[in-house]
Amino acid sequence: MRQTRRSFISCASLAAAGNLLGLRPFGALNALAQTSSNYKALVCVFLFGGNDANNTLIPFDTTGYGQYNSIRGDLALAQNTLLPLTPAPNFALNPNLPDIQALFNSKNAAFVANVGTLVQPLTRAQYQAGQTAPVNLFSHPDQQLEWQNAAQSAATPTGWAGRMADVLGASFNQGASIPMITSVAGDTLFCNGNTTTPVSVSPGNVGGANCSEGSECSARQLTAQALLTLDTGISLVQADDGITSNAYAYAKTLSDAVQSITPLQTVFPANNGLASQLKQIAQIIQVRAALGVQRQIFFAGIGNFDTHADQLTLQNALLAQISPALAAFYNATVELNVASEVTTFTMSDFSRTFQPNSNNGSDHAWGAHHIVLGGAVNGGQVYGTYPTLVLNGPDDSDSNGRWVPTTASSQYAATLAQWFGVSAANLPTVLPSIGNFATNNLGFV
Amino acid sequence: MQQSRLFSLSCVLALSLTLSGMLAGCGSGSGGSGSGSGSTLPSVTVSGSNQVRLGSTVTFTATAVNLSNPSVTWQVNGVAGGNSTVGTINSSGVYTPPAAIPTNNNVTVTAVSQASPSISGSATLSILNPVPAITAAAASPVSGATYALEVDGSSFVSGAQIQAGGAYLTTTFVASNELQALVTIPAGATTLSVTVTNPSPGGTGSNPMSATVYVASVATAGRLLDQATFGPTLATIQQVQTIGADAWITQQFNTADTPLANIPSPLPALCLSANTPTNCEESEWWQTVLTGPDQLRQRVAFALSEIFVISSDTDNATTITYYHNTLAQDAFTNFYTIMHDVSVSPGMGAYLNMLNSAKAPAGQIANENYARELMQLFTIGLNELNADGSLQLDGSGNPIPTYTQAQVQAFATAYTGWTYATASGGVPTKFPNGTANYLAPMVAVESEHDTTAKTLLNGTVLPAGQTAEQDLTGALTNIFNHPNVGPFVCKQLIQHLVTSTPSPAYVARISAVFANNGNGVRGDMQAVIRAILEDAEARAGDTNPNYDGGHLREPMLWMTEFLRAVGFTNTDANGSYFSLSNYSNNLSERPYRSGSVFNFFPPSYVIPQSTLNAPEFDLENSANAILRLSLADSLVNNKITSFTIDLSATSQLGQIAAVSPGEMVDTLGKIFMHGQMPSDMRNEIMGAISGLGTAQQVRVATFLVITSSQYKVMH
Repeated sequence: MRQTRRSFISCASLAAAGNLLGLRPFGALNALAQTSSNYKALVCVFLFGGNDANNTLIPFDTTGYGQYNSIRGDLALAQNTLLPLTPAPNFALNPNLPDIQALFNSKNAAFVANVGTLVQPLTRAQYQAGQTAPVNLFSHPDQQLEWQNAAQSAATPTGWAGRMADVLGASFNQGASIPMITSVAGDTLFCNGNTTTPVSVSPGNVGGANCSEGSECSARQLTAQALLTLDTGISLVQADDGITSNAYAYAKTLSDAVQSITPLQTVFPANNGLASQLKQIAQIIQVRAALGVQRQIFFAGIGNFDTHADQLTLQNALLAQISPALAAFYNATVELNVASEVTTFTMSDFSRTFQPNSNNGSDHAWGAHHIVLGGAVNGGQVYGTYPTLVLNGPDDSDSNGRWVPTTASSQYAATLAQWFGVSAANLPTVLPSIGNFATNNLGFV
Repeated sequence: MQQSRLFSLSCVLALSLTLSGMLAGCGSGSGGSGSGSGSTLPSVTVSGSNQVRLGSTVTFTATAVNLSNPSVTWQVNGVAGGNSTVGTINSSGVYTPPAAIPTNNNVTVTAVSQASPSISGSATLSILNPVPAITAAAASPVSGATYALEVDGSSFVSGAQIQAGGAYLTTTFVASNELQALVTIPAGATTLSVTVTNPSPGGTGSNPMSATVYVASVATAGRLLDQATFGPTLATIQQVQTIGADAWITQQFNTADTPLANIPSPLPALCLSANTPTNCEESEWWQTVLTGPDQLRQRVAFALSEIFVISSDTDNATTITYYHNTLAQDAFTNFYTIMHDVSVSPGMGAYLNMLNSAKAPAGQIANENYARELMQLFTIGLNELNADGSLQLDGSGNPIPTYTQAQVQAFATAYTGWTYATASGGVPTKFPNGTANYLAPMVAVESEHDTTAKTLLNGTVLPAGQTAEQDLTGALTNIFNHPNVGPFVCKQLIQHLVTSTPSPAYVARISAVFANNGNGVRGDMQAVIRAILEDAEARAGDTNPNYDGGHLREPMLWMTEFLRAVGFTNTDANGSYFSLSNYSNNLSERPYRSGSVFNFFPPSYVIPQSTLNAPEFDLENSANAILRLSLADSLVNNKITSFTIDLSATSQLGQIAAVSPGEMVDTLGKIFMHGQMPSDMRNEIMGAISGLGTAQQVRVATFLVITSSQYKVMH
């Protein structure tokens, strides 16, 4: 729900009252952030390896399930194990996503069906005739990068999140002490802009470096930082100097910010890599006022989705990790009163062949179904067009069930970007091929 | 009269024998005898040596005559007890020279009678420079016939000169135990006789020493070892300096593999508590790379393992030790052999699903995983390349794909029918073989092999009806002969060993060696490795400290380099090295534990907002930079579980620092930065450690070196 100008003004006067009550300016800023809330965050959860969407969102109507069951063979999930989606009765979920089912049914989550990398809309015939398509469609690194850069090839060196930070930074994060984008899953193209770079955080490790030298610690650090300023003329040394200098600064900012906060009460699942990452994101959101940010983009990700063999065992275990992790994160945003200000969405290299392979697995495919969740999401719906589950059918790029996407990842991104605050005028800067598509807003948020 | 003289004489004798002088008879007699004769006046006479060298002492004696108390107070140049400028003297008359010769090197030693302070005796003492001694000397090439000579020993003083081959050299005084000079050595000379002469006063020469004439400089040796091992040590630097880079490479080619031990079942004590073979496998890896003499072999195997990736996140670790041994044993053979042995290894089979990939019945397709990744990641890449690694472009300026989806499927069918061997290494009757054999190559069950014809690359067709082994050999040969293999693989080997950004010309030179080793053989690994390491571009930094290349030390390598450089002791009850994995894991690396087949970092990684292709920088971000600083603190403070790392005052570095902190920093510069630490960096470190205790000097200096960008980027 958008803040109206009137409520913004009343919040400002509340802040002024705070000053009269003797709150420090810092405290006033906190009050401002919590009540006026022109804050938004996007959280990308990347499923590395290519999550099999065919076994994530499954048709539940008789015809649809029949098509699914007849082709999927050993990979088919029994219908009576699927989790029904009451607002969308023609669909059901993999049995290991009960939390997503609950969020969908309470209209705080939605699916976007058959979304994939595209430069322009393509039918099966157009694809097979060789019309312009993304480069290296079935290559992991290329498709990971193309989902992240929303470009035709992996060569484009910026991600669409980075480009958003480029255009929005001045408007929303003036005076922020930290970049708009935080990655808790290492270095990714998604987070790199033309002028902005992200901060990387190792989950659970927001402090500065350890030092055992007692009273000599500050002198040691000052010297280490002085060494970073020496000009060696060696390119990689200079590059490392820059990264390390930023590291000192961001570590100090973050550790100062989290120093005296009350830990969240929401319990995140243990032994769950994605949960650790999302918990760290929640903590950073908790201190957003101290960081001076009104817009944040977070990148999280887990791997091992490349289920060429033994898919049922492997994918089910992975989905069983994602479901409670996402739910806990949503609950944390509720606890922080930002449930409607944080939108989480998944991405993945590609989906997988609808036709199974000879190892109880599936191979690289294309169009996938992705999850969007958050209080602002118009949930309980399946957006886009679910593919016809027929090999060599109208949606098949070949004969193995590699669906030609009917929604472009750029459209998916554009919808999120506009919610986040990117204007129509700036949309082509963030998503250069968006103009090739009929709509730039799918309406799910 | 006569009697009294005798009497006095006996008193003198008695008193000169003992300073305490308790002779009753004399006392009463002296007063009387003193009257009326030419009697002896009271005096004090000082005797002792008239010269002393710095570092020695001299004992003076004071003889008091005709004094009630023989005690004296000693002075040097009129100062009671002396001082630090002119030397000190204690109550026993032992004179100790100052640390340095005073402006006037002649001092006066005086003994003043305590009974009669106006009575005193003096002696002159000349302070001389000590006698220098040489313990070792070595000359390292700088350029042409010019060598850098280092003379080690003791008692060198500022102004000392080295004499070599009859000529005095302009000498740099480093410390009392080290001198340096440049010297010209004629070609072919293998030894050089040197002496050191200290300056006046007392300038004198040392013992002669035959200096070792090294074939390679510290920079060459240090950089080569950085490129070709898991970290230089003072011993290996000396070894390479002695025999030269080319001979060292040959010696390493002839050094047998240090195999990782097979992990038995039930698990041994080392990994029992964790109940996973992974801990054993990783312990074996760390121990081998840290201590194995076959350093080049292990370093190449490591590079190969970052190209032909498998991981214990899905593989059983028992098969990983076998896989690693395969890479290490094949490292110096032929690239085709590596391709084949990797393809039939159970580790790769399990990781990329060639294991148990059966010919597909109707309604299924053959598993494409290995077919795709063998080409995309291990051999030819996605796009056609020129020999220099650059992309070939079509008429519209676009890259040209090397293979189609149809070809992937053709290869996928060619690789069908393989499963685990039986316990004796034979072919099982059942497919798949449900009992894993992690320690033998996979075997083919022909009934599960797809025998249709397959159209591969460049129009090659595998005819119908071939066996699994025939199809495998045909497929691998087809790929091996693709012209991309040289540039695609060799550029990555260069990136792992030498520099992230080789010039196209460098890549082309190595590709040419890959294509033909000079004897018509394609894929000769020894020829390729030697060419990579001996190439002018690899060796450019030996003489040019401003060489703008190199690569960031990835976390596991950074750790092994530190441990080898300063030494360590394993203290684990079971001899486990596994704890090191916990530390490297924090920095996003663990042996054979990549999160995907794309290794810890892809070869194509470009530093954001730059055009610098620098693969290891994919792991270098604000989070990991801080974590590396924390790990460095633990390393230098001996806080590594299962290990003792000694940087105390009694360690080798500590002992050097006690004599000269500058020498300690230079030693760090030699081991870690191949003698090329920039002077501004050295000055900063010297400033930081001044005034600290010895052990803290060593820790802080070492910390500053290993966390500096100048060190982290191997160049």
